Amino acid sequence: MLLTLWAASVIIFAFIHLIPGDPIYVLLGDTATPDQAERLRREMGLDDPIVVQYIRWAGHALAGDLGQSIFFQAPVTSVIADGAETSILLATLTMIWVVLIGVPIGVIAAVRQGTWLDQTLSGGAMLMASVPTFWVGLYLILIFAATLGWLPSSGYPSIFEGGLGNLRYLILPSLTLAAPNAALILRLTRASMLDVAREDYVRTARAKGIRPWQVVYKHILRNALLTVVSAFGFTFAALLSEAVVTETVFALPGIGRLVVQSILRRDYPVIQGIILVIVVIYLVINLIVDLTYRYLDPRVELK
Amino acid sequence: MKFRSRHLAHGAAAFITALFLNAQAQVPAHAAGVLREATIGEPPPLDVMVTTADVATVIGRHMFETLYAWDSTYKSQPMLADSERIEDGGKTIVIKLREGVQFHNGKEMTAKDVVASMQRWGKFGSRGKLLMASATSVEATGKYEVTLKLSAPNGAWKNLLSDVNGGLAIYPEEIAAKAAGQPIEQKDYIGTGPYKFKEWRPNRYVEVEKFAGYKPRKEKSDGFAGARVANYDAIRFIPVPDVGTRVSGVQAGDYDYAEMISGDLYDTLSKDKSVQVQRTNAPIFGLFFMNSKEGILKDNYKLRRAIQTALDKSQALRVSFGSKDLWSAEGSIVPKGTPWYSTAGIDGYSPHDAKKAKELAKEAGYTGQPIRLLVSTNYQAHYDQAAVFTRQLADAGINVQMNVVDWATLIKMRGQPEQWDIFVTHHSFFPDPILFTFLNASYPGWWDTAEIKALRAELVNSSDQAARKATWDKIQALIYEQVPVMKVGDAYTYDIASPKLKGLNPNGPAFWNVSTK
Repeated sequence: MLLTLWAASVIIFAFIHLIPGDPIYVLLGDTATPDQAERLRREMGLDDPIVVQYIRWAGHALAGDLGQSIFFQAPVTSVIADGAETSILLATLTMIWVVLIGVPIGVIAAVRQGTWLDQTLSGGAMLMASVPTFWVGLYLILIFAATLGWLPSSGYPSIFEGGLGNLRYLILPSLTLAAPNAALILRLTRASMLDVAREDYVRTARAKGIRPWQVVYKHILRNALLTVVSAFGFTFAALLSEAVVTETVFALPGIGRLVVQSILRRDYPVIQGIILVIVVIYLVINLIVDLTYRYLDPRVELK
Repeated sequence: MKFRSRHLAHGAAAFITALFLNAQAQVPAHAAGVLREATIGEPPPLDVMVTTADVATVIGRHMFETLYAWDSTYKSQPMLADSERIEDGGKTIVIKLREGVQFHNGKEMTAKDVVASMQRWGKFGSRGKLLMASATSVEATGKYEVTLKLSAPNGAWKNLLSDVNGGLAIYPEEIAAKAAGQPIEQKDYIGTGPYKFKEWRPNRYVEVEKFAGYKPRKEKSDGFAGARVANYDAIRFIPVPDVGTRVSGVQAGDYDYAEMISGDLYDTLSKDKSVQVQRTNAPIFGLFFMNSKEGILKDNYKLRRAIQTALDKSQALRVSFGSKDLWSAEGSIVPKGTPWYSTAGIDGYSPHDAKKAKELAKEAGYTGQPIRLLVSTNYQAHYDQAAVFTRQLADAGINVQMNVVDWATLIKMRGQPEQWDIFVTHHSFFPDPILFTFLNASYPGWWDTAEIKALRAELVNSSDQAARKATWDKIQALIYEQVPVMKVGDAYTYDIASPKLKGLNPNGPAFWNVSTK
């Protein structure tokens, strides 16, 4: 795990510094003279060789200090922490919608396989998976914010300042983000349920006269969920990248939008910091998925 | 089991109710007087003396003030200054300051603060050299009097002291001295404006709050000049990069004001009762810079004129700005209605004559070599204009190859003369031509021929307006002859606001004197 982190840090650092572009001109504006730019670059240590800059950065990062944002003149850790609240809550809320919508409807579609209900639900899922996220977002804003005025159109004040009520700012964005992912989970749950339903032990259970809902719940769903759980892991991780569009459309102060803006501004310390945090999150999610597997299927051994 | 699920259901219902009750509870933040403005992005440090980024200027002008300020007709009027005296044929400027002006830290502004700010501006400020390079001394000649001595008269001095963008914002002496070449730190954002710095939450907002110690000028408010009255407790500048979100945010009442809306929405929004449209009276103009240092266009003025001859600027303006209300195919570099309007040379502005362009190119010795055009996608208008021109130039047999990059890359690359032949940018309106980037020989493009050198000196070193205008006419004629830049045309940007706001400033977003009906 540490090796992965180290390799990631080297790759991140090298790639970011390979992109052309200069944070100094972003700071000083269009009319800065080369003299002014050179002076500020020297004062900020950006004229050192890239290896020196890496060693300096990695040394601080090991001590938990990700450096100062060039653009904000604030510690990277606090900039990321502020954005992380939004992104984590957004991802969590999205996953709740994904589970609440994707799994039950997937089960219903599988149980009613081949009927008009199954066709409608599966067709709807196909549609939701194909529509671009920003389009769904803009329509939700148009209907629920601009026309009906039920929910805010954009922004997110912290729950530490306004209480849990501020979660309402995340309802539209999380639904936007949930739409394609719920559709995927729905289709996966349905397919997985149908696979398991063909197994011998399910037939045996049915032959024994166990009630149909008990067969579905105890024998099929529990085993079908194994495949779905690993998909949850991927979905959650993918949300971090999909959130970029959603956070932009809804003007959310999350790390998805922050990383894109930081790339445009060439704010190297912030980009490095965020990507490092995302790598850690991916590793942790993988671990959680493995543990959940073990819970659902005791035959799986963790080494 | 049943008991538990009923409780769960009750809990969920209570939570959802709380969410919506909280929706009501959020409203008073606005009623208490916080104006919410959706900006196009986040500002770089708000040291307006050093940076020229527009976002920083819009926020900064609420906190920092200059000695003079432009009125609605872009004439300089005293702001922190009270009056001035010109001596020695324009080489000595004695500025008397207003008395009793307080900084946000409670200290009174005196001549010492102005001198320290001027010195920092001259050394590190974005536009300071334009005036201070010829300064032989600047000193406090009284508690409220500053004397600036120049080696030659400078006809633009008052205009240079009127704009906060890269301009002479007055900071307390100790802060200006301490910061030197570094951007000023947040805790030192101390100015004299009607609002003072409160908080900067990266990625979320910058907030300024009403400064109780502010005493407005007695004169009636006019443009950026005159009385500035803070009617809100605070102003929150919120970065909202997506233009669709800025629009729906104002329509939904989440923002009171939103900047820089795209041209294609203009006709719809003009009829929309849920917003009021604010079209600025100061146009911006697109500029295509030619490389005067290296490459195929270096000093081949005939080839440059061939390029200009092939173009139809109206077509590019229509594609990039949409509604006819938002653009004007204007060949005068400074727009109509200003003292600098000039028709010198404008026949060459937009001939759209492919045949003549071909002939000119042939005479210039052009045989189809690629001309590298550097453009970014961050400003959609730049890209649209470049695409239209590339097509038009192809019709005239001129082979343009677009190199499309992002803005940060463009800024870096345009400093390297071997990388490009033409690059695309735009310019804000300035009421004095001396502020135009293409007159700055160290700005990428590096236009510094003997002819412009002489004319530039003439423009700077004269304080007689009629003589300066005559010089400007000659400069504009030279621009059409040597084509260091091509002007695309005037574009009027627009913002939108809640219909409840009144007192909005047509010269650009400034929220003093603005209130809610």
